[in-house]
Amino acid sequence: MIHAKTFRHGGLRLAQDLPWTGGLPIDNAFLPVTALIPLKQHAGPAARCVVQKGDFVREGAMIGKSERGDSAHIHAPIPGIIRDIRRIRTASDGPVEAVEISLQGSFDRLGKRAERYIWSSMSRADMFQTLRDRGVVEMEEPGRPLGEMIASHERCSFLVLNCVESEPYIRTEGALMSARGKEILDGLAILQKLVSPEHTAAVFDVREESERASILGLLGASETSMEACFTEPRYPQDMPNQLFAVLGSGKAVISPANAFIVRPSTALAVYEALVFAKPVMERYVTVAGGAIKHPSVLKTRIGTSIGDLIEECGGFVDSPEKLVVGGPLRGQPVFSLDSPITKLTGGILALTREETNRSRTEACIRCGRCLEVCPERLAPCELFRFIEKRRYEEAMANGLANCTCCGACGYVCPSRIHLVEAFRFANKAMGAAK
Amino acid sequence: MTREGRMLVGPAPHIHVRQSSASLAWGTALVLAPAFLWGLYCFGFDALIPVAVAIASAMVGEALVGLLLGNMTLHDGTAFLTGFLIGLSMPPGVPFYIPAIASLFAVCLVKGAFGGLGSNWMNPALAGLVFALLNWPTEMGTWTWPRHMAGVAGISGATPLGFVHSRILSGAQSGDALGLLGAAGYSVSGFDSGVTGFLNSGLFGRFGVSLPSGYIDLLVGNKAGSIGELSGILLLAGSIILISRRMIRWEIPASMLVVFGGLAWTFCGLPFGNGFFSGDLLFELFSGSLLLVAFFMATDPVTSPSTRGGMLLYGACIGALTFVLRQFGSGAEGVAFAVVIMNCFVPSISRVELRRGNHSQRSDRG
Repeated sequence: MIHAKTFRHGGLRLAQDLPWTGGLPIDNAFLPVTALIPLKQHAGPAARCVVQKGDFVREGAMIGKSERGDSAHIHAPIPGIIRDIRRIRTASDGPVEAVEISLQGSFDRLGKRAERYIWSSMSRADMFQTLRDRGVVEMEEPGRPLGEMIASHERCSFLVLNCVESEPYIRTEGALMSARGKEILDGLAILQKLVSPEHTAAVFDVREESERASILGLLGASETSMEACFTEPRYPQDMPNQLFAVLGSGKAVISPANAFIVRPSTALAVYEALVFAKPVMERYVTVAGGAIKHPSVLKTRIGTSIGDLIEECGGFVDSPEKLVVGGPLRGQPVFSLDSPITKLTGGILALTREETNRSRTEACIRCGRCLEVCPERLAPCELFRFIEKRRYEEAMANGLANCTCCGACGYVCPSRIHLVEAFRFANKAMGAAK
Repeated sequence: MTREGRMLVGPAPHIHVRQSSASLAWGTALVLAPAFLWGLYCFGFDALIPVAVAIASAMVGEALVGLLLGNMTLHDGTAFLTGFLIGLSMPPGVPFYIPAIASLFAVCLVKGAFGGLGSNWMNPALAGLVFALLNWPTEMGTWTWPRHMAGVAGISGATPLGFVHSRILSGAQSGDALGLLGAAGYSVSGFDSGVTGFLNSGLFGRFGVSLPSGYIDLLVGNKAGSIGELSGILLLAGSIILISRRMIRWEIPASMLVVFGGLAWTFCGLPFGNGFFSGDLLFELFSGSLLLVAFFMATDPVTSPSTRGGMLLYGACIGALTFVLRQFGSGAEGVAFAVVIMNCFVPSISRVELRRGNHSQRSDRG
C-alpha cells in the first residue's frame, strides 16, 4: 500500500466526487481542414507574422517569429495555403492576430519515420537554441518560454515532474503518462541536464491505480535517479505550494525559487524538440463535461477548432450551459465553438446546468466556508470586503498577493460572489500602481 | 451540431457547490416545517394565525426595504425564514399585532436599516422576539394547553420551565423539577408511560438504570410552550438534516449545549437541596426554547463568527449566558437574550480569530 500525502490547510475534496476513469487511451483527432493559429500562445507579446495571404507553408514551417526572449515562435501545424490573417479572440487573450491555413499538399513529418538526434552530445547552448527554435513553452497558462524559464531557474536544487492532474475532469497528464511515459522521462532527463538539480522527484495522483506499476517500473528502468511521490486526490494539490508540502521533508528547503516544476506535456514537448527537432504543433486535450457524449483525451493539431473536437467526442448529449477552455475552477470561458486549440489548451469542458449550479450573486452571509477551503490560509471574504471599498492596500497587507487564484473559495461560496475575479483585478491594479 | 448556441460567459470558477444562500434559507424553513405542523396539531388556528401573520409582515417589510434600497431580495428566502422563526417563537393565540410588529421590527430596522442581508449585526428573528418580549410581557407570557391534552382549545396553562422557575422563586424546595410539574396540572400521558416502559424493559433495564416517566412527554411535545419549540424530537431530527447536509455548522449548537448542559447538571439540583451534580439535564434541555434557538437561530451565519474557534467560543458563551439568565433572571427563558447579547461580541471574536488563525498576516511570504 502506497502512502499518499497531501497538504495541510484548506482545499477541496471534490476531486473524489467527480468521475475518474483510470488509464484513458489517447485517440488521434482528425486533422483539421482549416487551422486557425493565433500568433500569441505564450506569455509576453505576440509573435510577428512572417507569412502573407496566399503563401504556401509546409508542415512545421515558422509562421510567427518571436522577437523577444519572453515570447515564442509559432509554427504551422499543417501544410497548406494561408487563406486569411485576421484578429480573433482566444480564451486567454483579447483580440490577437491569427493565421488561417487550409490544408493542402503533403505532410513532411506525419506518417514518416523521423530522424533521431543524440541530445546527450549537444552542448547546453545548442539545446537552449533548439528549444527556442522549436517554440517550446510551458504547456499551461501563462505559457512562459521554456528556455527563459530554465535560465531563471539556474542553480535549482529540485526538479519536479508534476503528474498531478491540474483540476477535476482533466485527465490529460495522466493519460499522457501512461501512453508516452518513456518519452516523458527522457524529456525529464534532458531537463536534468539543463537545470542540473540535486534532487529529482515525480509526483503522481494515488488514483493512477492501473498505471502505478508501470510508472514505478519506468522510474526504475530510467537512468535518471528520482523519487516517486503519491498524493491524495485533493484540489489544488498540483499548485506549487501544495506540491512543496508533499515533497519538502527532510531535505533542502523547497521553495518557488528553488524548484523547477514541469508537467508531462511540457517534458514531452522538450523531448520531441531535441530528439526529433519537432516544433510544437500538437496538443493533448481532455474533452469532458456533462454535456459531452464520449469524454476522451485527444491528440490534436494546434489550430483545430473546439467545435471539431467536441464533434469528434460524439457531440453534445445535453445542452451545455458553459463552455470552458482549461479546468472547471481556473479555466477561461469561451465565446464560440470556432475558438482554436493552442499550445496552452489542456482541456475543453462543456458543463451542464447541474454542474455549474449557477445562481444569483447575493450579499456575503459570512458563512466562513471560504476561510475553511483557502489553501493559502487567506480570508477571501475579508479581502473581498476591502476590495469592494477600493482599499487595495489593506487587502495587500492581508495577503492578497499570496492568492493563487485556485478558485476554491469561489466554488464553495453560497452567495456566488466573484471572489477570484476581484482578487485578480485588485492584484493587477496594485501591480500597475507600483 | 449548431455553432450558434448561446453560451454563458462568466469568470472562473465555472462549477459550484449546489447550495446557494437562497437555498440555505428556504431549506432551513423546510426543515422547520414538521415542528410547525406539530404546533398546528396542538393549537390549530391559534398556531396558524401568528405564524402566517409573522411571515406575511416580514415579507411586506422586506419588499418595502427593497423598494427603498432599489434591490428586491424577496427571492433569497431570508425574510420568509425570519418571519417563520418569529411566528414559531410566539405563544399560541397571541394577539395578531404582536408577531406583525415584531416581524416588521426585525426585517426593517434590525436588518434593513443596516443595509440588508449580510450587513446586520444582530439576529433579526431573535431581535424581533426580544422586542415583543419587552413590549408585551403579559401577552408573551400567556400560554395555553395543547388541544389534545386539555380536550378543548384555549385553556390556559403554564410552560414546564416557567412553572418550575416561578416555584423556585417562591421558595419551593422539595423533590425535583419533574415532580413539581404535577402541581401545574401536568399528568403523565398514556403514550409516555407506554414508551417509558418499553425503553426501560428493553434497553435501560439491561444497564440497571431506568427512565422516570414524564420525560417522553417533554421530548415529544405534550406540554405548553411556543408554537415551534414544543417537539424536541422533531427539532433534533431537523438538526440532523441541517448538520449532515452541511446547511449549518455543528460547532455553535454543540458548544452551546455542552456548556449549558454542564452548568445545568452541576448547579440546577441546588434549589431542590440535592447538592452539586444533580441537575435535571433532560428537563433543562427539553423544556424551553433552547433547542429551537440553538439549531435554527444561533447558527445564523451572518451574525455568528466564521471561524471554527470563534464558533466554539460564541456557542460556549451563549450556553453560559443562557444558564445565568435562566437561573437568576426574572423570566424563565434566557436563551434569546443570550444570543442577542453575544451578537455584540461577534466582530471582536472575528477580529481576534482572523489574526490568530494566521489568515491575514502572510504578506511576508511569496
